[in-house]
Parts: sequence; C-alpha cells; structure tokens
Amino acid sequence: MELYAPILVLAVLGAGFAVFSVSIAPFTGPKRWNRAKLDAYECGIDPTPQPIGGGRFPLKYMITAMLFIVFDIEIIFLYPWAVAFDKLGVFGLVEMVLFIVTVLVAYAYVWRRRGLDWD
Amino acid sequence: MSLLTTASVLASPAAPGSPGPGLADFGHDPVWISIIKGLVIFVFLLLGVLFGVWLERKLISRMQHRYGPNRAGKFGLLQTVADGLKMGLKEDLMPRKVDKVIFFLAPVIISVPAILAYSVIPMGPVVSMFGHKTPLQLTDMPVAVLFILAMSSIGVYGIVLAGWASKSPYAILGGLRSSAQVVSYEIAMGLSFVAVFLYAGTLSTSEIVAKQADGGTATLFGLDIPLPSWYAILLIPSFLIYVMTMFGEVNRVPFDLPEGEGELVAGYHTEYSSSLKFAMFQLAEYVNVFVVSGVAVTLFLGGWRAPWPISLWDGANVGWLPLLWFFAKIVLIFCFFVWVRASLPRVRYDQLMAFGWKVLIPLNLAWILLVATFRALRVEQSTPVFILMAIVVIGALAVFFRFDTVQQRRREARAEQIEEEFEQLREEPTAGGFPVPPLDLPHYHGANRKEVPSA
Amino acid sequence: MGETITFWVLAVVSVSAALGLVFSRKAVYCALMLGVVMLSLAVLYAVQDAPFLAAVQIIVYTGAVMMLFLFVLMLVGVDSSDSLVETIRGQRFWAVVAGLAFAALVALGVGNVVFAPAAGLGAVNAAGNVPSLAELIFTRYVFAFEVTSALLITAALGAMVLAHRERLEQKATQRELSRERFVKYGEEGLDPSPLPGPGTYARANAIDMPALLPDGKISKLSVNRYIARYEAEEGTIDPKVAEILEGEDK
Repeated sequence: MELYAPILVLAVLGAGFAVFSVSIAPFTGPKRWNRAKLDAYECGIDPTPQPIGGGRFPLKYMITAMLFIVFDIEIIFLYPWAVAFDKLGVFGLVEMVLFIVTVLVAYAYVWRRRGLDWD
Repeated sequence: MSLLTTASVLASPAAPGSPGPGLADFGHDPVWISIIKGLVIFVFLLLGVLFGVWLERKLISRMQHRYGPNRAGKFGLLQTVADGLKMGLKEDLMPRKVDKVIFFLAPVIISVPAILAYSVIPMGPVVSMFGHKTPLQLTDMPVAVLFILAMSSIGVYGIVLAGWASKSPYAILGGLRSSAQVVSYEIAMGLSFVAVFLYAGTLSTSEIVAKQADGGTATLFGLDIPLPSWYAILLIPSFLIYVMTMFGEVNRVPFDLPEGEGELVAGYHTEYSSSLKFAMFQLAEYVNVFVVSGVAVTLFLGGWRAPWPISLWDGANVGWLPLLWFFAKIVLIFCFFVWVRASLPRVRYDQLMAFGWKVLIPLNLAWILLVATFRALRVEQSTPVFILMAIVVIGALAVFFRFDTVQQRRREARAEQIEEEFEQLREEPTAGGFPVPPLDLPHYHGANRKEVPSA
Repeated sequence: MGETITFWVLAVVSVSAALGLVFSRKAVYCALMLGVVMLSLAVLYAVQDAPFLAAVQIIVYTGAVMMLFLFVLMLVGVDSSDSLVETIRGQRFWAVVAGLAFAALVALGVGNVVFAPAAGLGAVNAAGNVPSLAELIFTRYVFAFEVTSALLITAALGAMVLAHRERLEQKATQRELSRERFVKYGEEGLDPSPLPGPGTYARANAIDMPALLPDGKISKLSVNRYIARYEAEEGTIDPKVAEILEGEDK
C-alpha cells in the first residue's frame, strides 16, 4: 500500500495539468467562424461520407490484436519464470521450451498463411 | 534544481561499495517528501520537454548545416516556450462530427500514463533530504517494470481514441495503424527484458540497478580486471533489440508511421490542429521518449551509476552526484534519437510490421532460450542440460538459417527478374508498350556518347 | 485505513462505471467503461498486496483484450446496430446451461476460499510476490500452464479463421500499375499522369485555384468540386469556374 501511494501524487499532478490544458484550450484562442473549419480535414478534398459507420476497416488489425494477446500472455508467463529461474533450474527450462515451442506452432501457422503480411 | 542547494548535501549512509537502495528502502517516506519528489519529477519532465524540443531542433539543424532556432532568447532557448504560448493562443478547432467527450479525453489519456511511468525510474541512491533519508526515486514495487509496460499499454488508448473520436478517415487510419505498431513493438520490447530478469532475478527497478553495480573481477596474470557489469554489454542482443523497439514504441523516425504526412497528414492527431490539446500530444510524445530512455538507462546502462572509469572513484556513486550521471545518460540517449532521425528515412508500413513480427520476435525468443540454457548450465552441469542446450542451439540456428535462406532466395529471384527485364528492353526498347525513346539516339548519352550543342 | 478508503472510493467508481457500461448507448463508451472497471480492479489487487496480479490485469485485460474489443468495434462499424435474429439453434438453452455451470464454478471457488484455512499473505509472499507465484505456477500447476499454450493456439487459429482472407492473386506491383496506366492511355486515351495542378499561368497555387490551360481557359479536371460547391452557396465563386461547371451540368 505504502509503495503505491506516491504514484498518486504524480497522478494528481499529471492529470490536473492535462485536464487544465485541455479544458482551457477553447478559451485562450480566438474564434473565427468558418464552415470549412467544421469539416474533417482531408486536404481540401470532399470529406469521405460516413468514414466509420458505413466504411469498414480491414480485419487485418484484428489478427494483430489477437496475436498481441497471445504473445502478451506468453510474456506474462516469461517474467516470473525469468525471475525465479535459478530456483526452478533445468525443470523450468524444459517446461518453458515446451511452452514456447507450442506457441510458436500457432505463430508459424499464422506466418505461413500470410497472417503477418501487410499490403 | 533548488533541492540541490536547500537540502544538505550529505553522503548517503551506505558504504561506497554497497549496491544502493533495494525494495526495502521504499514505502517509508512521509507524505511531504513524496510530494516534493513527485513535484520535482513532474517539473523535470515538463522542462525536459521544453529543453528536449529545443535540443532536437538545434542538433538536427547542426547535422544538416543549419543554425536552427536562434532568435528567441540566448541560442534560441526560449523558442519552445514561444511555440507553447503560440499554441495556447491558437484557435481551438473542433470539427462538427467529432465525439466531443472522447475528443477531450484522448489527450489526457495519452499524457497521464506517460508521466506516471516515471515514478519507478531510479535516479540516485539514498540521500538525506531535509534530514530524512530517502532514495532518489518516487517509489518502487516488486513489479516495477511491469508497471511501466502497463502504463504504456494504457497510453495506446489515447492513440486509438483520438483517432476514433475525430471521425475522419486519416485520423482513424492513423490511430489504428499506430496502435497496431505500438502493440507489435511492445511484444518485442517485453521479450527483450526477459534476459535482464534472468540475470537480475527481480522486477524491481532499484534492485536491477543494484545488480549492475559490480560485474566481478577476472584475474589475468595476477591482475584483477573488473568485468563489465552493465546488461547492455552482458546481453548485447537484448539491448540492440530494445533500442530498435524503442523507436517503434514511441513512434519516432524511422518508425514514425502515424505521422507519415505524405499519406496520413498527421495521423491520429490530424483533427487536433494546433491548440493546447495538440500540445498534450506533443508533450506525451516527448515524455514517452524520456520514459523509454529512462528504461534503457535503468535496465541496460547501469542506471544512475557512474560509467566505468569514473566508477573507480569511491565518491562517484554517493550522495546527489549520481543524478548527474543519470541525466547525462538520458541526454545522450536523446541525442541518439535525434541522430537517428537525422540519418534514417521512414520505413514503409508493411516493412515495419514485418520487421517487428517476423524478425524481432523470433530472434528474441531464440536468444532468451539461449541465455536460459547458459544460465541453467551454471546452476547444474549435467548431461540433460547439455542435450537441451544442443537442441536449443540447433533450433535457434535452424530458425536463423531458414530465415536467411528465404531472404537470400527472394533477393536472387528479384535480381533475376530485373535482369531479365533489362535484357528484354535492350533487345527491343519499345517492349511493353511504353513510349520510350530508343537509347541510342544521337542526343542521348547512348551508343556513341556525343554531346550535342544546344540550339 | 488506506485500504478501506481505496475500497470505498473504487467501489463507487467501478460500480458506476459498470452501470454506465450496461446503460450506455454507444459501443465505444461501453468499452471505455469496461476499461475503467478493469483498472479499478487492478488498483484493488495492488492495494491487497497482489502486485503481479494487478500488473497482469492492466497489461493483459486493459491493454490487450480491451484493445481487441476496440479494434473489433471499429472494424464492424461502431454505430451499426445489433441484429436480434438468433442464428444458433438452441442458443438460449445452452446459454442457461453454461450460466448455471459458471455459477456452480464460482460458488465452488468462493466456497473453497471461504471454508479452507487461509495461508495468510505473509506466508505466501515470503520469498517475494513474483518468485512465490512463479514457484506455484511452474511446479504445482505445470499442467495448467502447459495447457494454456494450447488455448493460445486456439485463439490464434480462431482469429485466422474468422478474420484472415487469403490473397488469391499476386498483389499488383508499382511496375504493373504503371504499365496498366500506359495501356489505358494507349487504348482509351486516359491521361497517365496525375490531375493537373495550378498551371504555369495561374496566379496562385491554392487548392481553390483551378489550373489554366495554355490558351487561358480553365482545365475542368482541376476544379475542386467540393470547394466550388461552398463558393457557389456563398456566392463567391469565380464566374469562369461557374461557367464550366454549368456547362457540365447540362
């Protein structure tokens, strides 16, 4: 508990500063109405109608996010394993080799089916 | 820093050879000491951003034979202050379609975690602050490095939400792209820490610094030669991989894809134009640079400890002096960031993702297993360990060679294709239907290379 | 003392965020509220001396799983409404069964904790939180740990099956695209170059300035329709541009 309390100090300072800056932003500058300013910026080209509702985004990102979860969990297991490695010894090494190889099966599958390619 | 002058500059009670504070030294500060430390870190980060922007512009100008900012203040030092003021006085644009709540929240979400991550970066040993003994680090915890990773994973929300709230295609694409990039490089970054934890046996930042205090000595011809203790030297592959992921993690050149202005204008903060909200994004970017530099210093470059020739002097790692080593290291890494920015072009997005997923991650895993087997060998030397080590080495080499041969084959195939095309064009210059002038026309530097006088 | 205060503050925050999650109408707000609930949980874990669990909660749940949610929300279009047609037969029945099974599991788990003699934090964390946890995971619960990797394979395969579309033909390279443009130029007379910028005779190079052809006429290709529409509505449009656009309409 005592270890986490000081973070609160920094959190209050940081959040206070950020919220303050963001909320005074509309009041410090001038206001000159212009209809073009109300549109999304697209280099002067006609704004794309309905960028998200109708238009969809490549599902590619979902594979990235899923693989991110997979490897994140692997990392989460690797950290305590690394910390306690000297105590776990050879047994720990064997089980982690097995674990990594098993996860690499999924990784190799995704790679082979071009799940990691972007174009 | 006023603290330096007001607080009594006393040596820490620890003996010169002691490795420095550990986890047990934290959690005893009275509230006002915590407030002072938090305030100093906060001010340090804000001033760091101001100074960092100036230093970056100045350095990069010098590298490009320009002067850089030199009007506002001495050496242009006040340039960033002026820019900040200007941002405050700019009109705050808010497009009609944006989601107002999240549009406001995104700059806050991106900047606060960046600042918070600095609370576990150790900056010095135990010192006496107004008669109270306390380590120069806001706090430490058994999972400090995980805390830094957690903060950076919250920071990604700022990017995604800023992109989404803007409801413009550039912003959304920029947000998705850069969040996918940041999470991809976060994996490689997280993996590059594992070897450090294998050696240090702890996740607490102050203890990792303490572990790098002394690398032991080797006796050669009767001389005691101190061995390197920094993990950057002991674990060079981890360090190199970390340095590469650093750039991907904070969206800096050569991986500054979200700001690939040729394709995405300004990426996820396109709609934040130029007001104080945009200033928050800028602040978060620089603070993130300081955070990854701080992590590099702490995990790989010996933390606040003095570099080698200086560390032979007993007084180098005592009292307030180590703050100087820490800041010097941070500034050097920041200069490295600028140097890279001045030297390298931006990579393409598919190259960036392929590099992160197909190169850094498998290399990293192979390296971790290698380090672990060596480590196991130190714990016990038995036949199963040797067999296991052989398997791991062969496996790692197999991964590497497969990777290498595939690359080699691709490169050869591409060269062959180009050669073929040239062959075809040499025989028949109009092949392919392009309106190409024949290469042996007299006014070209073609067959007989004769200059034709103009007019 | 500090723990009690934290608990009550976070109780209010997380319960109201959970309520917001249920009642909010925008999917992204729901996701954000879920994030708040997860973060409050993480802080509660940290306060109760389970720092590793807290960090994992933030990194895996808030950082990775929620990010997947957000991506999916954006991919399917955030404002798209849910279809209420049930496509899986017997869905409700199995949902009830699964719910009951989960309730039984929770009851067993909680009962186990409540009635078994507690080991106490001090004894459990004797060697430090992370190493003690590691020893449990990698010795006593080895099997569960190894089975997790199978679960991860399933997750990756699922993502590939659901979201990956195999590319059937090679992607067109720049060379092929360029060749195609020139073939079109030869066959249909389409200009292979980009649209004209403000011409040599233009007095400005802003986006609202049409390009001029050598005879001083306006190149129709270079007129920005979007800006022209605004200008036409506000009556500030260049008469020459208006003339060209009118000619087009007829």
